[in-house]
Amino acid sequence: MTDRWAPPSTTVVTGAAGWLGRALLHRLVTDPARHRIRVLVRDETEAGDVRPVLDASNVRGSIVVGDVADRATVDRLFDGVGADCDVIHTAGIIHPRRIHELFDVNATGTRTMVAAAHAARIRRFVHVSSNSPFGTNPDPGERFRADEPYHPYFAYGRSKMEGELAVFEAVAGGLDASVVRPPWFYGPFQPPRQTTFFRMVRAGKFPIIGGGQQLRSMVYVDNLVDGVLLAELVPQAHGRGYWIADARPYHVTEIVETVGRALRVEGFSVKDGGLRLPAIAGRIAQVADGLIQRTGRYQQQLHVLGEMGTTIACDISASRFDLGYEPRVELYEGMRRSIRWCVEQGLEL
Amino acid sequence: MTGGLAAPAAALDAEILVIGSGAGGATTAALLAEAGRDVLVVEEGPWIDQGTVRPFSLDQMDRQYRSGGVTVALGLPSIAYTEGRCAGGGTEINSGLYFRPPVEVIERWRDRHRIRDLDPDEIGAIADEIERTLNVGLVPGKATPASEILRRGAATLRWRHSEIPRWMQYPPGGDAVTGARQSMTRTYLPRAFSAGARMVTDCRVDHLVLRDGVARGATVTFGDGSHGTIRCRHVFVCGGAIQTPALLQRSRIRGRIGRTLAVHPTVKLSARFADEVNVPDDVPVHQVKEFAPSLSFGGSASHSGLVALALLDQWPTFADAVTQWRRIAIYYAAITSEGRGWVRAVPGLRDPLVTYRLTGRDRQLLQSGLARLALLMLEAGAEEVYPSFRGAPVVRNRADLATMQDAFAVSKASVMTVHLCSSVPMGELGERSGADSFGRVHGTRNVYVNDASLLPDAPGVNPQATVMAFAVRNARRFIEESQ
Repeated sequence: MTDRWAPPSTTVVTGAAGWLGRALLHRLVTDPARHRIRVLVRDETEAGDVRPVLDASNVRGSIVVGDVADRATVDRLFDGVGADCDVIHTAGIIHPRRIHELFDVNATGTRTMVAAAHAARIRRFVHVSSNSPFGTNPDPGERFRADEPYHPYFAYGRSKMEGELAVFEAVAGGLDASVVRPPWFYGPFQPPRQTTFFRMVRAGKFPIIGGGQQLRSMVYVDNLVDGVLLAELVPQAHGRGYWIADARPYHVTEIVETVGRALRVEGFSVKDGGLRLPAIAGRIAQVADGLIQRTGRYQQQLHVLGEMGTTIACDISASRFDLGYEPRVELYEGMRRSIRWCVEQGLEL
Repeated sequence: MTGGLAAPAAALDAEILVIGSGAGGATTAALLAEAGRDVLVVEEGPWIDQGTVRPFSLDQMDRQYRSGGVTVALGLPSIAYTEGRCAGGGTEINSGLYFRPPVEVIERWRDRHRIRDLDPDEIGAIADEIERTLNVGLVPGKATPASEILRRGAATLRWRHSEIPRWMQYPPGGDAVTGARQSMTRTYLPRAFSAGARMVTDCRVDHLVLRDGVARGATVTFGDGSHGTIRCRHVFVCGGAIQTPALLQRSRIRGRIGRTLAVHPTVKLSARFADEVNVPDDVPVHQVKEFAPSLSFGGSASHSGLVALALLDQWPTFADAVTQWRRIAIYYAAITSEGRGWVRAVPGLRDPLVTYRLTGRDRQLLQSGLARLALLMLEAGAEEVYPSFRGAPVVRNRADLATMQDAFAVSKASVMTVHLCSSVPMGELGERSGADSFGRVHGTRNVYVNDASLLPDAPGVNPQATVMAFAVRNARRFIEESQ
């Protein structure tokens, strides 16, 4: 096993009411070594979501409400903490109303966070990035390695790239930080848009572009939490970026088929197939997405459709080697858990 | 060793005519002569002794390359290619890097092209012989600084890389730049001469004389413009993947000739370092194989003229770097292409028309290859990287890599290749094979191809060893069958 630090007494989590944030928080509160958890959430609604989790645990939880890009807000997070503190920066926005929000949160927010964290002399800063700063694979047989040249996919990719660059710049300036890059994730605590995903598969309407032989890396959210915590506690992760994904990428057809199978086993009716579209449909959606984004607006369905025609697949061997990361859940099991979670929440699939 | 050189004569004859003296032709000539056959080799270019021309120089391009190294496969983009045109062919001018024919490639060719009696173990045993003959081995002393950069960058990124052995002979205590290449003029051609083979240089074959699928000889033009005829009973065409199909077409041989040209397209960049890294007379021995076979990185010849040439694509902003050429080295990213090209002999023109079409995937792979190579340079400590395409930015950090990829289009890049093959593919696919499983051209009784043209596709590694191994295999089969 790789060398690991003990958990710090204080853990700071941004984006705590988000998909990953909530899954992470549920894990953190079960660790008796973590005495204090400070979270940043955007508004009172989000605070209301996370408060019960903190209250039900033995940790001393505190909630800061405000904008991640606002230095005064962020400084409150670091008030009184020192070297016995790690920061897990999960706050990010992927489907905005307007394009500038991407940069406000993902770029400026990250810059603000690293500056404040560095000033507070914390131990380790974990930045949650994305596959999007690296674009798509040139060939379905290709895998992204741990280090790749940036080639951002539209504005989201650019904003996440700027976030990474802010972190690496701070690393050069002396901050101890690591970067985690999750691809498309799935699992409990999902936002409403994922319910749409299940509904489309049930209706046999999930778009399969150009034969569906494109590969997609995905990550089950608890696998991701494992990876994030390793990136926090493994000293040699310093200054590096890691893919945290399931053991292998999946073909798009396999994803649709597996989700269908998981839904059936959980008692749902599923129409066979999927919406077969020619490769050109994906290309057209990509172009349209680009044109709309240029006007500062954002159309989620178009963006997702455009991306579905591409291969985005990563190689997790460096994460295995350096962090000792080993994904524990695969697509079928992960999707079943995800469906059960939705049912428990009373969500309509 | 030029003992076998014969004078041009208006009428020559031999049992076996070997056309071309590169990796395929020299090997074929040596094996056939050593089997006691009467062999005449004709070579379009001159005989130039090693040591009389500076390796990787412009002078060398002028004297040992076809058309001074300026030959182009037309297409969007056009792809510049180079061919040796001298005794020993490409082996006199290439990087001297040796790759054993990859077993998976041999198996793929055997299965997909139904090549009879193609045994990877036999090819392996032949490769052993070739390695001994060519003295294949690693650099004894230090690799050049430019080579060390590739090793260092790949090691930092944890990308698979290795020193590629070369067929060089080094003096005791020598290092990388002291090697003498064991090219064909030093190895297989002298062997052929010792066994009685003759060779005529500055002799271009215009066409083969055929009747009912049987070649009776060839008509030739000598360097002084005079013409001659050669009578023979068998012909081995070993002119390389461009000249071989062109000659067959000029000789009115039909079939799958010149329609499946395969190459390893490459794009390049120059990188400037704090120290003097430029070694004008040698090329790096390290290659990065992390993304092989689809993508490989290596180092190119980098004397000052070539540095200037590499910076020419974005001259307005790159020009100033030329004065610092001693701190600059040139590197390439090569891909295995899905595209194919055509070679067409055009009546009245000396050289054939060559076209090549890159696929969409090829283009994307060239782009990401160039970006990954630039990343490696940054990791190896490059201060500035100059990608060779029009409108390229100077790359100084990782953020610039995004800018570079946004600005890139293959159509703006200087795409080139040195590995040309597959224009007369061997195999038993009927009309889709140009030659049979041992190189005999379909529709002929005694015309054989025995060079890179036979390889069914681009092998993804430096192909010289593979060309030689197949030449040995096919020559042996010919000897057995024609006793």
